[in-house]
Amino acid sequence: MEQPVVELRGISKRFAKVLANDNVSMKIGKGEVVALLGENGAGKSTIMKILYGLYHETSGEIYVDGVRRRINSPKDAMDLGISMIQQHFSLVEAHTVTENIILGTVKGKIDFKKEEEAVQKLSDEYDFGVPAGARVGDLPVGIQQKVEILKALHRQTRILIMDEPTAVLMPQEIGTLMSFVRKFAEAGNSVIFITHKMKEVMEVADRIIIMRNGRITGEVRKDETDTKELARLMIGHDLEILSKEGTAEDAGRKKRLEVRHVTVQPKDAPAVLTDINFEIYEGEVFGIAGVSGNGQQELCEMIYGDLRPTSGEILLDGEDITPLGVAGRIEKGIGYCASDRYRYGMVANMSLAENMMLKASYLKKWDRHGVISWREVDRYTQKIIEDYQVKAPDASVPAGSLSGGNQQKVVVAREADMGSRLVIFDQPTRGLDLGAINNVQKVILRERSEGKSVLLISTELSELFELADRIAVMYQGRFMGIFDPQDLTTEKIGLLMAGVSMEEMTLRKEERTDE
Amino acid sequence: MSNRRTFTDLLLWTVLAFVLGLVVCFSFLPLMGINPFTAAATMFGGVFADVYTMGNILVKMTPLILTGLAFAFTFKANLYNIGAQGQFYVGCTCAVSVSLALGGRMPGWIVMILAMLASVAGGAVIGFLIGYLKAKFNANEFLVSMMSTYVITYIMQLLLRTVLQESKHEYIKTNKLDKSVWLPKILPGTSVTLGIVISLAAAVIVWFILYKTTLGFRIRVTGQNMDAARLSGINPKKEFMTAFAISGAIAGLAGFVEVNGLQHMLLTGLDSDVGSYGIGIAIMASAHPIGVIFSSLLFGILQVGGTVLSHSTDAPASIIDLMLGFVMLFVLISFYFRRKVELARMKKKTAGEE
Repeated sequence: MEQPVVELRGISKRFAKVLANDNVSMKIGKGEVVALLGENGAGKSTIMKILYGLYHETSGEIYVDGVRRRINSPKDAMDLGISMIQQHFSLVEAHTVTENIILGTVKGKIDFKKEEEAVQKLSDEYDFGVPAGARVGDLPVGIQQKVEILKALHRQTRILIMDEPTAVLMPQEIGTLMSFVRKFAEAGNSVIFITHKMKEVMEVADRIIIMRNGRITGEVRKDETDTKELARLMIGHDLEILSKEGTAEDAGRKKRLEVRHVTVQPKDAPAVLTDINFEIYEGEVFGIAGVSGNGQQELCEMIYGDLRPTSGEILLDGEDITPLGVAGRIEKGIGYCASDRYRYGMVANMSLAENMMLKASYLKKWDRHGVISWREVDRYTQKIIEDYQVKAPDASVPAGSLSGGNQQKVVVAREADMGSRLVIFDQPTRGLDLGAINNVQKVILRERSEGKSVLLISTELSELFELADRIAVMYQGRFMGIFDPQDLTTEKIGLLMAGVSMEEMTLRKEERTDE
Repeated sequence: MSNRRTFTDLLLWTVLAFVLGLVVCFSFLPLMGINPFTAAATMFGGVFADVYTMGNILVKMTPLILTGLAFAFTFKANLYNIGAQGQFYVGCTCAVSVSLALGGRMPGWIVMILAMLASVAGGAVIGFLIGYLKAKFNANEFLVSMMSTYVITYIMQLLLRTVLQESKHEYIKTNKLDKSVWLPKILPGTSVTLGIVISLAAAVIVWFILYKTTLGFRIRVTGQNMDAARLSGINPKKEFMTAFAISGAIAGLAGFVEVNGLQHMLLTGLDSDVGSYGIGIAIMASAHPIGVIFSSLLFGILQVGGTVLSHSTDAPASIIDLMLGFVMLFVLISFYFRRKVELARMKKKTAGEE
């Protein structure tokens, strides 16, 4: 290999309690796309934040173009041509695209017109379609990401680091991003692409560096590997293959949950849910696809009793549960794994046992006349810890001290247990690593085979195709239709998620054939 | 094992903070021409000289435990009841009214039970109102509870000048209560009454409610994470009102133990800082009900010591507040250092594992 553009030698980083990077060395060549693959908490972001000057290495050396450099701040990094696009964008929403891009690079009197033209030219060069004069806050997330990229390009970046760039994108946008990455690299630049999705890696990378527990566990060229090997390198063992038995269409199944023409309309605001109409059978996994923020959380909260329908009704096993609040619906056997478990599903400062008690405070499950038998709760929690292989010493540790995956195991275990009839999973695998994802998905299928109904909301299409018996697509608080997974392709579902209805799709197709 | 370690840590740091606070406070004494060493000797000599003075520590502690508990209880729901003083006055007024009206006409213990219930109910109503305003109109409970104290203080003054005023109509105070409704003394040679037992029992009951019952569990969940509470079927607004009502009830009870236990009458300006001390006591105890007992003990010792000091030396009476202030400041600072040391220890431990 010729002289690498960037070389990291023996970088270690220690935070108070953990060793986040342990003797990590890597070389990045000119014109190369390197994927940094690993589970959450493997140390991918940490090592890149060190290169970008956000963190400082405990030990080790950084070489740029063969010269040893100390990178103390992102400014030092940018001066060397290194830019990083964070998972959470660093944009000023109230400012225009141009203002954001030139921020920190201009001095004195600013010729906005000239700058705006330059930015627009840069955007057009890459076919980004970013309006240089628009306010960032008005732009969709996918375009905001392009603003971040333009910001980096504007600074003559040669080495672009992207941290989980596809997490916020719709399927179509992912394609555009990938082609930009290729084009950018072909022009002689280098890209480091942090991800935990193997599909993306196989699509875009020349070389793949796999990290686990803060160490590099493998380095392979794309053409010499396959997803199976990558998975093994990432999690240290093979994944269990999931299998789904039977189908939901089996005759004689009972309708478990019926949602009839429910609309939720807050005062003086557009409706968050419009005319939602569907049913879930016993032993069925009903999937909801859609870009986050299109009413999925409201749908869950409506079924769970936290959000009152303005019109319509909700039936559980034929019984009208519309007037019941959350406590009443918990009692009826509905479980709910909220997507933001930290905010809605647990109390971080409380012990695991107290978190197990969380939803049972009205159930008289572990209390007599209001006096809680903590011994029983502890015993139950201990059993959960063993059954679900939660990495926790005992039931008395605070839930917040566990890793994200283990927290999720605890919440999933509790909700699967509380929901004796229906369990709602809102993005249950988001932010989890492969091993934990596998675990959660197994639980979902187990609940299904026990005859429970499952409402599964996911932004991961592959997850829905794997687990759901039927899939509804949500867009701006409406159902775009309910489909059999076999009738859907990734492309179709992507269009539905973007608000294009099936009819429009057929129309477009006809137009095309007409021409 | 680790629990015991944190406990000894806590004890060690608190003692250190206590000593440092006193040292700093006493270093001001030479400015007033007082020898700090003799002053210290006088103070501790005085406090522990006789049973009567030592008993006074318990007497001072009695209402402080309750106002401390009152603040601690809402604190667990992430709410601030700054109005314990007002609820205390309501408790005083209720207790004195019942005792004056019925004292001597019924067996004393029946009157006392009625007076106690009245003071608890009075405090609870005020607390509930604050909680209700918070739940219904999202009124800032901090301000509402704080201002409620002023309103109540003036209403009490009005009552003391009118219907409740003594028969001689001379001072702004009530008649002395009938002896039959005085809380009995429990330690011979001191003024310690059954009040301290009531306060200690209240601390244990509050601890039990908070940690062993679903009621307390829901209040704590609401305080820690309101969103999670809501999605667990808990109605945070209801918990606000419950927490405030209970908190008010505890502060009201303090009124009963002061009136029937110690003062045997109600007079204007009675224990005018029992509410604010309660806040300090609760914070010092990290709002743990049992911890409140110990920090009240500390406050009791300093109060009695300060009184001894100002009586037998030239030190002004405000020395009490100076001592309390410094000791509290240092205890709070010690929390910070305790945390740092804990972190450093953890770091060392993880480093050792490699």
